Amino acid sequence: MFYGESGYMIKTDVVIIGGGATGCGIARDLALRGIHHYLVEKGDFANGATGACHGLLHSGARYAVTDPEAARECISENAILRRIARKCVEPTGGLFVRLPGDSKRYRDTFLSNCEEAGISTEVLSASRALDLVPELNPSIEEAVVVPDCSIDPFRLCMLNAFTSRHKGGGILTHHKVIDIIRERGRCTGVKVLDRFTSQIKEIRAKIIINATGAWGDTIARMGGSDAPMTLSKGSLIISNHRLTNMVINRLRPPSDGDIIVPNEAVCLAGTTSIPVDDPDAVEVDPREVDLVATQAEQMLPRFGTTRLIRAYTGVRPLLKAEASDSRSISRGFKIIDHKNGMFSILGGKLSTYRLMAEKTVDAVVEEFGIKARCKTADIPLDGQDELSGYPLSKRLKDIDNIVCECELVDRTQVENAINSLGIQYIGDIQHRTRLGMGPCQGGFCTYRALGIMQETGRLTPDESIEILKEFLQRRFRGIRPALWGDQLREEQLVESIYLGILSMGQRA
Amino acid sequence: MSAYEYDAVVIGGGVSGIMASLTLASKGFKTALVSRGDPVCCLSTGCIDVFSHSDEPLSGIRALLPDHPYSLVGEKGIVDALSFFSEIMEEAGLPYEGDPGRNRKILTPIGSTKCTCLVPRTMAHADMPSNEYLHVISFQGIKDFFPGYITSRHRNSTYSVYDAGVPTTLGIAARFDDASFLDAFITWLRGLEIPHDRVALPAVLGTIDPASVVEKISRAIGRKVFEIPTLPPSIPGLRLFRALKRVMQNRGIHLYWGKEITSVERQGCTVEAVTLATTGRAKRVQGRAFVLATGSFVSGGLFAGRDSVRETVFDLPVFVPVERRDWFNTDFFSGGHSIERAGVRVDRDFRPVESKIDNLFACGSILAECEIMSLQCGHGLAVATGVAAAKSCAQGLS
Repeated sequence: MFYGESGYMIKTDVVIIGGGATGCGIARDLALRGIHHYLVEKGDFANGATGACHGLLHSGARYAVTDPEAARECISENAILRRIARKCVEPTGGLFVRLPGDSKRYRDTFLSNCEEAGISTEVLSASRALDLVPELNPSIEEAVVVPDCSIDPFRLCMLNAFTSRHKGGGILTHHKVIDIIRERGRCTGVKVLDRFTSQIKEIRAKIIINATGAWGDTIARMGGSDAPMTLSKGSLIISNHRLTNMVINRLRPPSDGDIIVPNEAVCLAGTTSIPVDDPDAVEVDPREVDLVATQAEQMLPRFGTTRLIRAYTGVRPLLKAEASDSRSISRGFKIIDHKNGMFSILGGKLSTYRLMAEKTVDAVVEEFGIKARCKTADIPLDGQDELSGYPLSKRLKDIDNIVCECELVDRTQVENAINSLGIQYIGDIQHRTRLGMGPCQGGFCTYRALGIMQETGRLTPDESIEILKEFLQRRFRGIRPALWGDQLREEQLVESIYLGILSMGQRA
Repeated sequence: MSAYEYDAVVIGGGVSGIMASLTLASKGFKTALVSRGDPVCCLSTGCIDVFSHSDEPLSGIRALLPDHPYSLVGEKGIVDALSFFSEIMEEAGLPYEGDPGRNRKILTPIGSTKCTCLVPRTMAHADMPSNEYLHVISFQGIKDFFPGYITSRHRNSTYSVYDAGVPTTLGIAARFDDASFLDAFITWLRGLEIPHDRVALPAVLGTIDPASVVEKISRAIGRKVFEIPTLPPSIPGLRLFRALKRVMQNRGIHLYWGKEITSVERQGCTVEAVTLATTGRAKRVQGRAFVLATGSFVSGGLFAGRDSVRETVFDLPVFVPVERRDWFNTDFFSGGHSIERAGVRVDRDFRPVESKIDNLFACGSILAECEIMSLQCGHGLAVATGVAAAKSCAQGLS
């Protein structure tokens, strides 16, 4: 399928760097316009901000007052994605709730701006809002219904990449760009490191698209240019339960901790906004967890008592502006033509990933001097029919072989993931099967899944123990900021297994 | 409400609570034990870790700070308590081996070695010289036990898999209680004609009398045989708990099992009674003295809120060394998290300090500064402080 591949030198028309929503969206757009391409990503899909956000498909209401242009983009993309990505979008609807003390004047501006942007709204009394979401704070003044949705960012990336692969594009995850090849000042290809085999591959292309989000400046600099951005860290927490079936927003000027999004069996609440320098060195501070939990419990009181299973943080790539408050910087996006064969797509947000991809590919098409219309808004994402879900009855049929008890993932699913997808990374199995996504956060089943991988010969026993160690360390980083209550009890049990029973501690 | 009266009421059915109640009963006191359910020792390896940070646990303990609970017990107290434990286990038909003066190493399911002190007899041969040949037996479909981990770490080792007809550790262990199953297994094992020095199996060799099962297998094949403790649900942990519970019943200790405490009655500086929720009428359990052995966070003796730590039965003052954001280190494997030091502080007689209760004693992992995870001293500390707190309590009673 990979035409143009000879040894470790691959030739193509376009190389996309970055396997987030934007990069995958660009790959699909190029595929539908018949342009050959390769996508390289240093981790799995949705490795950066795409996978570390709320998973909210904005209606645009959040930006109605502060950024009407972004609001219009959002509502238009919202309608498109509901149509083309039905298996990724859950049309939950959203509520903006006004708590005692929140400005009524802001609410009036909000309503009129939403109308102007074309976002439908309906004002509900407190009691009607409580009928819809019984866990809401009973003392709310009122609520406004908007067409917010929950979206699965990982699945979205996979399906976009699916079309690309299907049409002959190359998708290389776990391939890290280590250098940009330049000839006479022009970028003519990338050197990538295959992180599993440690081989270095060269991909030659006419155009390189830098869709690396927070890493955009680093890649632009490798190409001899730059892409100045402001980086802002946003931290979120995950509750053990789905406390609401609708997206809950606070009806006030955008601030910290004022969005809660239901996702599968859990809820995600966030975020914070803290300027950072290095996207590779971000961690959740326990104070951020307190801040988000305190804000979230004002809207859904149970957020204060429920078990939090993890905290995580993503880095927003924001367009550079003079403003010092990173929330007031536009979330709008920009395409930079570096005039050296590289284009950078900067800024933006998950909800508008398709539009960003369209505009980027428009620029590429213009550069190539060909005519090819964007079709991504008209054709539903391929591969959705195969995502028919995995019913409980099937999962329970093989109850003796359940690997992940929280998410009911059985051994057959894990083995299929390993065999058919050729997956070598434990994270890849987790993303595709939901193994380890439940309350224990892989504390019990990851050891088991790695044991199976070791038995199938995919990994040597030593490799699998090393991966287990890395996993436990990474898992602990996610859990540590939100450790109290029942989650702390479970963490100590997990510790007693790995450090006690299996004696994996350094000092033991 | 029905009322019952005892000399001593022990709260908590783990190793420390059981050892405390056995100590009190052995001194002739009418003793009751209240437990919310089966204890977390069922999840343990069943081995008694006394202090796994040095080869010689007692000398390691000598170097501990004076506020560690072990220091309150003293070396003689620890040794006596451990030998009392060994006597009890002998009586219960689940003999333990080991020497408090020296730790031993046992094999883990990933082929690493774990340092511990007293082990059930089924693990007596687990501390093996590296030049010996090892054959591992696994079971078809068993979870969490991958012999490849062990054989890859031991040069001279191989493995075979037996189909027990069930995949769970509990299911397999129950089959080994049956003599005809055991005979069939032995026949299969003999057929392998294992040339190796030792044979290791996951710890599933029966729930009732594993030492005899090991003995029988060993005699049949003429090799040293030992068990490897597995991940929870852990059979050796369950055996330990069941054996201890049996002895309690034999010694006339009144058990209130699966009962939640709903209220505590205090009169001035004494606790008079606790009330238990039961399916019928509420039960009022009255005692002249009380021993608190409800454990730490995992067992539910302590509960960590977002900003503070609570003792869950008497709401005793809890020592917490640092603020929440520093409860845990950033490294998973280094251990030594500050939160491990949290707990109830006690005086020399194991009375909680600043509690203003005279007839209450505390023992086990609920005690402040015990650091059972990083020092790997859980069951040892439970035995030692359980016996010591009960002795103090007995003195108070007489």
